Amino acid sequence: MSKSIFELVDELPTGGTTIMALNALDFVIPGQWQNLTGFTNTIRSVTGESDEAMIQAIGERAVYLYNDEGEGYQRAMWLYQTVDNAAGALGMAAMANKIGQDVSFLGFLDNLTPKPEKVQSIDLCIKLVVELVAYCQINGIPGDSVGDFLAALGDYGGESLMRMVALICFDGLIPLGPGFIGKGLGTLNNMTPNDLEKNDTFKSVSSLIPGNNSGDKLGFIGQSFDSVSGWMTGFVDQKGLTQENVLGNLQKFVKISEDKLDYVGAFLDISVKYYTHTGTQTLARRLIERAVAEL
Amino acid sequence: MTKHDWRIDWRKAVMALVLCTTLAIAGCQAKAPSQFDQVQKDSTARNATPAVAKDATKGGEFNQFFPKGQDGYERVYTQEKKGFAEAKLKKDGKELAMLAVTDTKSLPAAAAKFANAKASIAGYPSVDMGTTQTSVLVSDRYQVKVISKAPTFDKDDRTAWIKKFDLAGLSKLK
Repeated sequence: MSKSIFELVDELPTGGTTIMALNALDFVIPGQWQNLTGFTNTIRSVTGESDEAMIQAIGERAVYLYNDEGEGYQRAMWLYQTVDNAAGALGMAAMANKIGQDVSFLGFLDNLTPKPEKVQSIDLCIKLVVELVAYCQINGIPGDSVGDFLAALGDYGGESLMRMVALICFDGLIPLGPGFIGKGLGTLNNMTPNDLEKNDTFKSVSSLIPGNNSGDKLGFIGQSFDSVSGWMTGFVDQKGLTQENVLGNLQKFVKISEDKLDYVGAFLDISVKYYTHTGTQTLARRLIERAVAEL
Repeated sequence: MTKHDWRIDWRKAVMALVLCTTLAIAGCQAKAPSQFDQVQKDSTARNATPAVAKDATKGGEFNQFFPKGQDGYERVYTQEKKGFAEAKLKKDGKELAMLAVTDTKSLPAAAAKFANAKASIAGYPSVDMGTTQTSVLVSDRYQVKVISKAPTFDKDDRTAWIKKFDLAGLSKLK
């Protein structure tokens, strides 16, 4: 049987590569992400409640909600976990591809060998779509208008915003360079449904991507990525994000020796499970907020 | 070392290995007890009551009764699920409170707590929970709750914002 929500939150790590890598991105959104772990600890932090009986009641309602399969929470968790694991496999493939090649650091950043870049671009787009689908599984579609929905998306903060920052930095800027958004869009535009079906990340989550067939799903991925590309471009500009400052901050926290810098993208793919980590935190927060309102 | 001795050692080694593996597996399975073990068991039992009632009102139907953003206050809808809608109340980008409407069909205990309500807001029975929550029950079914997120947002603020909901409209919802 799959793990309970309180186990998943209790088991969130307080250290290790994922946490160090996310801490390295604190410079982008200073102080906005704290690594909140532990189920009752999360209840206390989200609600400001200190009464033990109340904490128990909130926790019990949250467990009930999570275990009701019709409510979408378990699907969202599955999406976060699956997309991380698929990325890990991609990282392995990219790493294998690097072995035996003597590529300079800048050479690697400017241009991965063509195949990995294409795969990485698809991976970036699919991860973004997974975020949207998981968001809707957790929160529904809040409000009555497109404006309400965009306002809800614009209200991203804490661990949700950190997940988007990590997506931009670890799956966009570092492996694909400053033109990562254009590369994502370009890859999708030149893609056939058949190409998409061959992608491992897509295969792993395709059942939950809206659309009756791969053609529909490709359309949905393209539209989703296109609609968020403006926000991403603005965010990168506003925060002054570059490959150099992201890598520079990363090196303060994660030991990457100078001669191994060209393995950074692959290394991050394999060892940093930021979707699962921050996704579990988001899910716990939303469940707890709902539980408090319902009691 | 004789052949016989070697064989005994080999068996001992295998036994030791089996024992270690068994202990390791048993060790992995033995989880620390949690205060939520019972509810986990109850909510995953074959005949468990679903968390949300089948005939609960759609969350989207509640949106129209929420107070609108006004006087520098911003209302951002955050969740909309069956029997539940929630919005965040913000001012100057700061989170002040959560505003929520829930259908107690899914959780009758939530409605039951109003049976002994000593206070009322706009004519609806009202209760406080903990130090951060104030709510009213409309039509013996829909709970309207305001939850403080900032220390400056006190009980008077919660009461004032409950009054800003279209409670009369909500009372006509079937």
